[in-house]
Parts: sequence; C-alpha cells; structure tokens
Amino acid sequence: MSEASAFLVEDDGPVRHLVLNRPDKLNALDLDQHVRIKSAVEAASEDETVRAIVLSGNGRAFCAGDDLSAGAPSGPDPLIGRRVDLDLGAGPAFLLESAAVLRACPKPTAVLLHGHALGSGYDYSLSCDFRLATENVNYGDPRIHRALWAAEGWSYKLPRLLNQAAVAPIAYLGETMDGQTAYDRGLVHRLYPPGANLRTAAKPFLDALAALDPTAYAETKARLLASLDLDFNQALAYSP
Amino acid sequence: MLHQQRDGPIMRMGFGGKPIDYAAVEALRAAALELADDPEVRLLVLDCGSPGAADDMGPWPSRLAHRRPQGSHGPGPLPEQEAIKALRAFMKPTLALLGGAVSGLALDFACVCDVRFASSTAMIGDPRILQGRAAATGICYLLPKLIGQSQAMRLLLLGEAIDAAEAHRIGLVYEVVAEDEFEERASALAGQLASLPTRAWEVHKLQVLPQLDLPFDAAMVHSLGVRQTHVIEDRLEGMQAWRERRPPAFKGR
Repeated sequence: MSEASAFLVEDDGPVRHLVLNRPDKLNALDLDQHVRIKSAVEAASEDETVRAIVLSGNGRAFCAGDDLSAGAPSGPDPLIGRRVDLDLGAGPAFLLESAAVLRACPKPTAVLLHGHALGSGYDYSLSCDFRLATENVNYGDPRIHRALWAAEGWSYKLPRLLNQAAVAPIAYLGETMDGQTAYDRGLVHRLYPPGANLRTAAKPFLDALAALDPTAYAETKARLLASLDLDFNQALAYSP
Repeated sequence: MLHQQRDGPIMRMGFGGKPIDYAAVEALRAAALELADDPEVRLLVLDCGSPGAADDMGPWPSRLAHRRPQGSHGPGPLPEQEAIKALRAFMKPTLALLGGAVSGLALDFACVCDVRFASSTAMIGDPRILQGRAAATGICYLLPKLIGQSQAMRLLLLGEAIDAAEAHRIGLVYEVVAEDEFEERASALAGQLASLPTRAWEVHKLQVLPQLDLPFDAAMVHSLGVRQTHVIEDRLEGMQAWRERRPPAFKGR
C-alpha cells in the first residue's frame, strides 16, 4: 500500500486529523507508519493554521499494535541524525522517539480509540493530551503475553497519568480495558456508545480544543509537563 | 517468625497473622536476596496478614547492631528499611495477599509488592500516627506513588483503616474476593503470574521503578539502555506461539 493511502492527513477546519489507514491490518504499525506519524506531527506543530491534532484509525480498529508480520522498512534510515547513539534496531525503538515528539507537541492532541487500541497504538495514546473512546474499545498493552516487553516511554508516562497501582493490571498483567474501565481509572476523558463514529461524535470536543487560545494552551501544557519533573520551587520559577 | 513454603517456581512467605518481629524482618530480607539469584523461582508471594510490628520486636539483626545508638534507632538503616529495600530490588513478580488485618509494617510490605490481592474481610490501614509513631519505612514515598497523594494522606495522616472494597475503589488492591474463595483464587492467581514471561515482567519493572524518580528525557534514555542490555529468551517462544496460533509456554528466562 502506498504511503499516501496508508496514512491520511485531513483538515476539518483548524483540526488536523492524522488517520491510520491500513484497515486490512487493523492499522498495525510498521516502521514506515511510525515515521509517517512523527513527520506528520512535526509538520502540524509547525503549521499555524492547525489548532488541534487528532490521531485515529480507519476501519474496525484504531490500532492493533505493532505489525509482527512486517518486513524490513523501506526508504532511508529514519534513525540517522538521532541524538542518542545506540543501536536501536528497527520498529519499536523508533516509536520511543515518535511518541516523544507527539508528547512534546505544543498544540492540543487527542486520540480516538475504537475497536482494538493495543500495544504501540496504546503507547501513542499515552502521549496525547486527551483520550476519547468507545465503550466497547479493547484498549491496553497485552505485549507481555508474547514476552514482547516494551521500552517506549509508557513506563514513565503511565504512573504519572494515573498512578503506580495502575501499572500492575495494565503493564505487568497485560489486561486490556473496555472504555468504561479506562474511563473509571481516569485514563479516558470522554466515552461514546459502541459503534459510534468517533470523528463525528467527538467533533464538539475537538472543535472546543481547537478554539482554545494557542499560546495559553502551549504555555500551560509546557508547565504541566515540566512540573512533573521539578520540585515545587523549581516549578514556580519555570517559564517555558 | 516468617513462614516459608516453596511450590515449584512459587515461593510463598508470610507472618501467619502474627505481629512482626525483627527475626521475621531479617528472614524476609535474606530470603528476597537469595531468591533473586535463584533462576527457578519466578514469583514471590507474601502473606501480609499481620497487625504490624510487635510491641517488642526483639533483638536487632546482629549485622546491624553497630548502627544502633543507645536507646534509639538512630539514622538507620533500620532492619525494616533493609527488608523493604530488598523487596523493592527484587525484580521478579511479587504478589501480596491481604487477608485479615493488614496494618502498619505489614502494609509497608504489601505496598512494596507489585500486585495486592485481598480477601473481602481484610482491614487495611496504618494506625502508627494514632500511636504517636511516625513510620520511617518508605511508606511516605511508596503510598502516594501507588494511589496518589490525596488518598495516601488520608491513610497515613488520619490512621484510618479501610475495608477491602474501599481499598479496591482507591486502587490500592488489584482484586477482592469473598473470604471463602480467597485461598483458591490466590493460588490460581499465583499460578497465572508464575506462568507469565517473568523476565519480561522484570524488564517492565526495571523501567517503571527507577523512572518514578527520573525526568522524562532521562527516563527515555534509561528505557533505551534497558532495551540494549536485556535479552529475553521467552520472546522467541512468544513469537513462535503467535505464528503457530497456540498458547505460549514461557520459561521465565
């Protein structure tokens, strides 16, 4: 499948939708797709007409996780120029960088979770500001059941988004959550009925995100993320 | 006294519902260090049912005797801290069983485990503040990380004991079952945990615990380092089982 059709970039007014479009693979991610996500987030961050960025997937699932059947990546090595000089291998290690870029995006970011939202798709969701899901989503990180341990940043993010207690069922035991469970834990911010077209149902929320003052949003988000790593006096003195 | 029972890859230990003395604390520390190096052990189960520290905890471990100034615990390390540190450094899965009273020092040990599983009749709390005592066991670090500052302050500053249902509601325990099903379900859960790819569990834990104290950028580099330096044999079995559409049989290697 060509790059153009595997990954769609669509604008709905000031809301930029980044859409995984490999429905036959349940939007499982290969390295090329990770690279496209990173590039698209960087481009949207730079584009002044974009006021909110939304990640979603076409078809029956948001994302089934890593594409375990994927072959070698195509094109130039996307890891050239990385700042950390380690032999990262292919695929999931690049996710660490692309998920970090998504997390650092100064604009509002949201992810629409339906069908399966697993593994590396779940990793990306933890980098977004807001998670919107259907009630019957199958959401989480079951990689441990294949001994596919993950090292892509969730281990920092999950205990801070929720708390350390949530790590046991989600990461150690690999239990997936339905929408209500994720909502009850505080991981999902908005819940929609099973089968809802999330892009339509969530439009009021997404439009409201895009209407927020971009400077105030960017500064608040920068302070919030930085404050996770600062002591109280440092946080008071912090200026993005 | 510390009860110990080995069942294949599972080591189960506990206080037998009794107050905890220094002998038990020291035995727990020594066992955690020893089991960490035993490749056949894949899970440590700790029965945390206990009213907490005994009024007279008995003689200090001899190896720490020189650290105890006259009449005071001094700057430490306390024997309790040493046992907590040994459990926290134990990277294989740890399962705390919470039945009956789980109080004070017993709660400390429960909170340093990965998963907490409770009987519906368990009563959980930290009454030390009501006794005019301040815990120096790391619980003031552990509990806010586990359940958030708000609920941690409720438990530690009010000395409130909560039932198992409330402990589940605030996220402190993973699951609650009726008392008459507790043993059976606890054994099943232990078996389930021990059959997981426990090396992968270790590598997850190896990231989560240090990264609680790291800033984001350092945490990402830490994850890269962990990725570079750990090999999990079970990963091959996981992929093979996936291709063959069968349940994997992990060895914990």
